[in-house]
Amino acid sequence: MRLNSSLVAADAFEKHLISRKRKSSWGKKAAVYALMLTSMVDMFSMLVVFLLQTFSTSPEILINKGLSLPDSLTSSEVKEAPVLALAKDGNIYLDQKLVGITAKVLKKPSELMNKLNLIKNDWAKVHSGQPFPGEINLQADKEISSTIVSQVMGILTTGEYSSIQLAVMGIR
Amino acid sequence: MRKKVGLGSKKDLNADLNLTPFIDLLSTCVCFLLITAVWIEVGSVEIKQSHGTEAAASKKISYDLDVVYKNSTNLTLNLKRNGKRVKAFKVQGIDESSFQASLNDLIQKKVLNFRNKVISIATATVTPRTSVNYGSLVSTLDTLRKNNIINIGVLSANGR
Repeated sequence: MRLNSSLVAADAFEKHLISRKRKSSWGKKAAVYALMLTSMVDMFSMLVVFLLQTFSTSPEILINKGLSLPDSLTSSEVKEAPVLALAKDGNIYLDQKLVGITAKVLKKPSELMNKLNLIKNDWAKVHSGQPFPGEINLQADKEISSTIVSQVMGILTTGEYSSIQLAVMGIR
Repeated sequence: MRKKVGLGSKKDLNADLNLTPFIDLLSTCVCFLLITAVWIEVGSVEIKQSHGTEAAASKKISYDLDVVYKNSTNLTLNLKRNGKRVKAFKVQGIDESSFQASLNDLIQKKVLNFRNKVISIATATVTPRTSVNYGSLVSTLDTLRKNNIINIGVLSANGR
């Protein structure tokens, strides 16, 4: 916005700028421009309103790199639980840490079972006297075979993780 | 600030709003919300793999549903009453979307409205196949959940 050259200024700052301009350069064109605050405040307010609307307090889980989750219309909120991920490249991860190749883990699930038992024992230490809820988040790529997922579910059920949350992309 | 004319040396009534702290507050808010914003919404579909349900333990007449896949666009729905098969329905589709649409239609018209009586399904068990990918399985689970069939289990089929 170019400054008003009249004596009546909108605010004290603008008044100061006009007087400075007059003192410094008689006859020269004004080179001082004031920042238009109204539109900036408007923009900030709109941004804040938009971001507050999209703000979510539900827990979040990390999605493994290169994993494309299936879409779902009836998805509910994610619960905080250990995350088991079955990647497209054939690897299996527990809480972002590699457990091994899925085919080998399915044949010999002892290593996965040990890790799951460790998590269960840690949970029991913290929540003494409470029954174990057996909740686990299972992430699997949508392209992998459903029988692999069902076999992993079988292992989880054996390890007392009977409430399995399948991670999906929520469509609204 | 504008001074009132003809009222002597009275104090000004008009006050300027100090915009600097206001802009500071807004900028801080924007930064915080941008950092904590969630752009990808991850949801979950609950699967209960427990053996035996409360519904089966009670004396009430309950219906169960067995969903057996043949391939990704072909499955059989076995409606069971107290563990015995009452009726079998076949669902087929040309592609994934038409298959899911016909499955949804069949559940609504024939299963939940079995012999012109409104029934409720206590549990549903899905038997997958190797030829069926996980995305299709989740779509089927989604269709079941849309029709208020919530107690769903997946059988661990060993590479069929």
